[in-house]
This record gives sequence, C-alpha cells and structure tokens, in this order.
Amino acid sequence: MSFWPIASLVLMVGALAPAVGLGLRGGPLDRLVGLQLSGVVLVPVLLLLAHGYAQSAYVMVALVLAVLSFAGVLVFLRLLETRR
Amino acid sequence: MTAQTVTGAAVAGVGVLVCVVASIGALVARDLLDRLHFLAPVTSLGVPLIGLGLAVDTGWHLTTMEILLTVGVVAVTGPVLAAATGRAAAEQRGLIPAESPE
Repeated sequence: MSFWPIASLVLMVGALAPAVGLGLRGGPLDRLVGLQLSGVVLVPVLLLLAHGYAQSAYVMVALVLAVLSFAGVLVFLRLLETRR
Repeated sequence: MTAQTVTGAAVAGVGVLVCVVASIGALVARDLLDRLHFLAPVTSLGVPLIGLGLAVDTGWHLTTMEILLTVGVVAVTGPVLAAATGRAAAEQRGLIPAESPE
C-alpha cells in the first residue's frame, strides 16, 4: 500500500473521528463546529484517496464538498440565529 | 521512489499531523471559543500543506490546479466560517448586540 491511502486512513481515524465525536455532543453551536471540522477534514481525505488510487476525476468531488460545506454551515448558522 | 514523491509525501505528512493534532485539541477543549481556535490550523495550515504535497507529487498537470483550487477554497472559507460561528457564539452569550452590523 502506498503512502497516500495510509495518510488518508490516519486522517480519517485521527482527525475525522474526533470531529464527528465533536458533532455528537454539546449545544447546537458546539455541534456546528463539529460539522464544520468534519467537512474541512473530509476534503483532504477525498483528495488523498483520489490521488492514492490514481482517480484524478474524483478531485472534483472534494472541490464540490469544499464549496457545499461552506454553504451548508452558513445556512445552519443562519437558522440557529433566527431560532433564538 | 523519486525525490519529488518523497518531498510531496513529507509535506503532506506534516499537513496530516497538523490536522490530527488540531482535531484532537478541538475535541479536548471545553469551551466553544477555544474549539474555534483549533479550526484555524486545520484550514490555514494542515489542508494547504496536504494540497501542496499532493501538487508536488502530481507535478504540473490540470489535476494540480484543481487540487490547489480546492485547498484554496478551504483556506479562504475556513476563517470566514470561524468568524461567523464566533460571532454567533458571542451573540448567544450576550457579549455583543444581537443585531448584525449592516
């Protein structure tokens, strides 16, 4: 196995799992930080997997996730602000 | 294994390490605003380093531009989201007035 899938696995276990854990506890804003961190960490995970398995077309998936994750968190923030 | 691959892997490895340490730090931190501080190393250092490592290993190619664009989007939008979340948290605690500046 080459370096890139291993790096992706390390990132999933070491960074994505804590981010998901963060999204499962605390108040709404604490969970939102977990969602934000999950989206940000998932982008390099997808980039590393696409590079590791030589599927360059899948880099587009990471790009779309980066844009949609930004928009999604902004929408959730807006909803949390109007709920108060 | 070429020097290009080794350099790319080393740079990306540092980026992965930054992301892992910052994520664990965010999990351990007790306060919301403390957690937000741990987002900055991931978006501004970790992800760009991983993208740079991938770009070095890929070489000059159309995919390289796509990778750099992706990490650029993360690097630009990350601080914006952190600032917006911090503002929402400050409003929730009554530290700043609820109405947004317009």
